[in-house]
Amino acid sequence: MLEQKIMDRIQKLKDRYPRKESALMPALMLAQKANGNYLSEDDMNEIAKFVGVTSGKAYGVATYYTMYNTKKVGKYHIQIDTNIPATLMGAVKVLDFVKKELGINAGETTKDGLFTLDEVECLASCGTCPVIQVNDVYYENMTAEKTKALLDSLKKGVMPKPEEPVYFGGTECNVLLKNRRVKNSTSIEVYKKNGGYKALEKALTMEPAAILNEVKTSAIRGRGGAGFPAGVKWGFLAKGTGKPIYLVCNADEGEPGTFKDRQIMEYDPHLLIEGMIISAKAIGSKLGFIYIRGEFDWIADILDKAVEEAKADKKMGDFDIIVHRGAGAYVCGEETALIESIEGKRGQPRMKPPFPAVAGLYGCPTIVNNVETLASVPFIIEKGADEFKKFGYENNTGFKLFGVSGCVNKPGVYEYPMGIPFKKLLEAAGGPKGKLKAVIVGGLSVPILKADELEGLNMDYDACIKKGTMLGSGGVMVINEEFSIPEIAYRTIKFYAHESCGKCTPCKEGSYTIVKILGKLLKGQATQADLDNMVRIIGSVNEAGSTLCPTGQAFAMPIKAMYEKFNDEFKKLLK
Amino acid sequence: MKITINGKEVEAIEGQTVLQASIANGVYIPHLCYHEKVGAAGKCRACVVEIEGMRGLQTSCSVPVRDGMVVNTVSQSALNAQKLVIDLMLSSGTHDCLACEQNGNCELQDAAYFLGIERASVQYGEINREFDTTSEFVYVERNKCISCGRCVAACNTTVVNQVLDFGHRGHHTEIVFDTDKKMGESSCVQCGECSQICPVGAIVDKNARGKGRPWELKKVESVCPYCGVGCKLELHVDPRTNKIVKVRGVEDAPTNKGMLCVKGRYGFDFVGHPDRLTTPLIKENGQFREASWEEAVELVASKLTEVKDKYGADSIMGMASAKVTNEENYTFQKLIRTGIGTNNVDHCARL
Repeated sequence: MLEQKIMDRIQKLKDRYPRKESALMPALMLAQKANGNYLSEDDMNEIAKFVGVTSGKAYGVATYYTMYNTKKVGKYHIQIDTNIPATLMGAVKVLDFVKKELGINAGETTKDGLFTLDEVECLASCGTCPVIQVNDVYYENMTAEKTKALLDSLKKGVMPKPEEPVYFGGTECNVLLKNRRVKNSTSIEVYKKNGGYKALEKALTMEPAAILNEVKTSAIRGRGGAGFPAGVKWGFLAKGTGKPIYLVCNADEGEPGTFKDRQIMEYDPHLLIEGMIISAKAIGSKLGFIYIRGEFDWIADILDKAVEEAKADKKMGDFDIIVHRGAGAYVCGEETALIESIEGKRGQPRMKPPFPAVAGLYGCPTIVNNVETLASVPFIIEKGADEFKKFGYENNTGFKLFGVSGCVNKPGVYEYPMGIPFKKLLEAAGGPKGKLKAVIVGGLSVPILKADELEGLNMDYDACIKKGTMLGSGGVMVINEEFSIPEIAYRTIKFYAHESCGKCTPCKEGSYTIVKILGKLLKGQATQADLDNMVRIIGSVNEAGSTLCPTGQAFAMPIKAMYEKFNDEFKKLLK
Repeated sequence: MKITINGKEVEAIEGQTVLQASIANGVYIPHLCYHEKVGAAGKCRACVVEIEGMRGLQTSCSVPVRDGMVVNTVSQSALNAQKLVIDLMLSSGTHDCLACEQNGNCELQDAAYFLGIERASVQYGEINREFDTTSEFVYVERNKCISCGRCVAACNTTVVNQVLDFGHRGHHTEIVFDTDKKMGESSCVQCGECSQICPVGAIVDKNARGKGRPWELKKVESVCPYCGVGCKLELHVDPRTNKIVKVRGVEDAPTNKGMLCVKGRYGFDFVGHPDRLTTPLIKENGQFREASWEEAVELVASKLTEVKDKYGADSIMGMASAKVTNEENYTFQKLIRTGIGTNNVDHCARL
C-alpha cells in the first residue's frame, strides 16, 4: 500500500493533467522514489487502478523507460554514460575503474546491496563528460581520482554535493547564452533586470496573426534536428476544431552529442518560458507542456520554480505550463512518441498522418517545438524578424547553439550565427586534442565527416547537406586518431538498438542484428558475408518509409558513412 | 474508382486502403500486423509498396486509395524492404515449421514463401524465451512471437478484456499478461481471441497441439450451442476419428466477428463424451431405461395433464435453458402460457 501522502500527490497530478492517465509516469516515479528506488509490482497495480489504466499498461510503461527499476537496485545506483562523446572523453576508463573498485560488472549489485552499476547511454552531459549519475544526481568531469573520492564518500553513506561542472563555451550573438554566466540567472528578478519579458510586453500588444507572421518571416528552422521552419509548422495547425490547442516544448535532448537545451533551461529558464507564452498566444494555446528528459530531474525542478515565479508575477495570463518528466527513452524526442509519453503511454511513434498539428496530444491540434526554437522567439518578437535574419543567411537564418564535445580542449556550448565556418567553431572549442581524424557535426544520427572533408565546411543546414551530412541538432563530436571507427560504429549501433522503441521490425531487429555483426567484427570473428548483411540492412532501412519513424535512418546513415569512409578499418578486422 | 496495381488497372472502392484493394483484386502483399478487426498499425512494415507521387516507401495498410493512384507492390526497393522484414522476423525467433501448430496456416510462412526466403540470413543463437503452458487452453511460445501486436490490440480493443500488453522495448519487446504474470495466473478469462488472431505459432490452442494439421482437418461451420447469442463457429474435425480437435470463430459472422467465449471456443469435449445422453431415459423402479422420443414426450404430456387436472395450471412451472436459441425460448414460454395456461415460466440465466 502506498502511503497516503504519496497518494495525495498522485491525486494532485491526476487533477493537474487534462486526462488522468497522464499521471501514470510521474506517479510511478513517486512510488519508486518512496520505496528505496524500486518500483514494486504492488505499487504498479495500485497506481494503475488509481489512474485508470490496466496493469499491463503500467507494466508496459515501467519496463519501457529505463529509469524505472522493476528489479531491486542498490542504495546507490551508479550509472555511467559510455556513449560516443563520453567514450571520446575517457568514460570507459572511469567505468573500468568503478568495476574494479566495486568488484562488480555493469548490470550487477554489490553483495552488501550498497551499489548497483549500470552502463547507460547518453546523459546529455557531453561537454562535461565523463559523467556518473548516482541515483538522480549528476557528477560531471569525472576522473579516476574524483571517482575514488565519490565512491569513498558513498561507502560512508554520504552523497557529496556535486562540484559545479567546468563548462567552456561562449557566445558571439549574446542571445541564448546571454545570461549563461550571470549570477542567479534562473530567478525572474535577474531575468527581468537583464531585459527579460520585454518581448512578452510587446507581444501582448500584437495580434496572434502578427506574432505568427513575424516568426514565419524570421524563417527560423526547428532547432531540434529536423530543421523544419517553425512558422510553417504553426501554420499547419487545424483551425476551428473546437478542441483545445496544445503547445509542447520538446526538451528531451537525447541525441548523443547534444547538450545545448540544457544550457537554456538550467541557466535561463525564463527565456524559454517567455518564448512559450508568446508562442502560445500566436497559436491560441491555453496549456503548454515542457517534456523534459527524466534524467534532468534537477533542471525540471528549476523549470517548475520558474513557472511558479512567472505565474506569481502575472506573466502567464491565461496560459499554463506543465513540466512533464520523461523517464529514459531517446525515441521520445520524436514528436508523436513524445505525445504518447505525455499521455502516459509507452513512448512509441504514431503512424503519420495525422500530424500533431491536426491531431496530436489527446487527439487535439498540437505544436511541438524544440527548446532552442522557442527560446529564440522572444528575440524575434522584440527585435523583429529582420534583426534575426541578420544572423546567418537566407534559409539558414539566426543564431544557433553548437555543442562541441569529444577530443577538443574546451568542450562546451557555443553560440554563433548560422553558417560560421566549422574551423572557427573548432578553434573556439580549443582546437582538437590529438590528431584530428573525423567529426560528427550534428548529433550521432548524421553521417561522419573525415578530417579532409571539413575544409570549407560551414555550420548551417544547407552547407552541411552539400558536404553530405546534416546540421541536425548542432551536436559536434570530434574524434582523434586514437579511436577506431569500427569501435565508434559499434557503440553507435548499440545506442540505437538500446533505444529502438521496438514497434517496427526493421528498426527493432535491424539495429540489434548490426550490433551482433559489429560485435563479432570487433572480436575478429566476422566474415565478409556478415558485413554484406549489414550493408543490406542499412541500405533497406535507409530508404524513407521502411521504418515507422526516422530512427531507422538515424542509425542507417551514420553506420553507412562510417563503413564507407573508413572501410579499411572494418576490413582489417575481418576473420 | 480505378487504380493501377503493378501495371494493371483495377477497381477499388472509396475508403479501402491500398492493401485492401490489392487483396480484393488478387494481388498479395505480405502483411502481418494488419488484421481487419484491429486495423492498420504500420508496425511490421512488411506491406510497404511504392506509390507514384509519394516520397519513399508507403505502408499499404495505412494509405487510402485515390482515383488514378499508381501502385507498385513489387518494385525493387519495395521487395528489398519486404524481404528484409521477413528475414529479420525469421532471424529473431525460432521459426521451426516442422512441428509447429500453425504450419500451413501461418502468415509468416506465407510471406516467406511469396518472397522466396528459405531461411533467415542471420541467426542470433540466443533466443530462449520460456514457454508459457500455465493456461488451461492457450499455449504461448514467445520464441515464435513477431511482436505484430494483433493479440494486444484484440485483447484491449476487440474483446476488451485488457489483459495483454507489450512489456520492455526494442529487440526485447515481449507480450505480457498483466504485470508479466504467467498466463494461467493472470486475469485472462481464456476467450482465446489472441489465439484466433495470432498470425504465427506464438499463441495457439493448447489442447489442439499435435492433433492434426490444418489441411487434414475437416472444417464444419456451426452455431455455438451454449447460449442465445448464436456465435458462428468453425469446427475443425479429424475425419479419421470424427472428433472435434479445435473450434475457431468465423471472422465474417455478423454476430461474433470471430470472437468466442471460453465455453464456445474450448468447451467442446461434451460433444463426443461417453456420458452424453443420446436418447431419452425413463426412470422406472429407481432405474433408468432407454426410451424413444415418442414414448418420452407422450409420458411427459400425460403426466403434466394429470397434474394440471388435479392441482390446476399454476401448480406447474416451466424452466427454460440458456443453451438454446431465443426462438426456442420463445416457443417454450408460448407452450407454458398457452398450452399449459400459466405464467410460471422462467429462465436459468436469471438465477
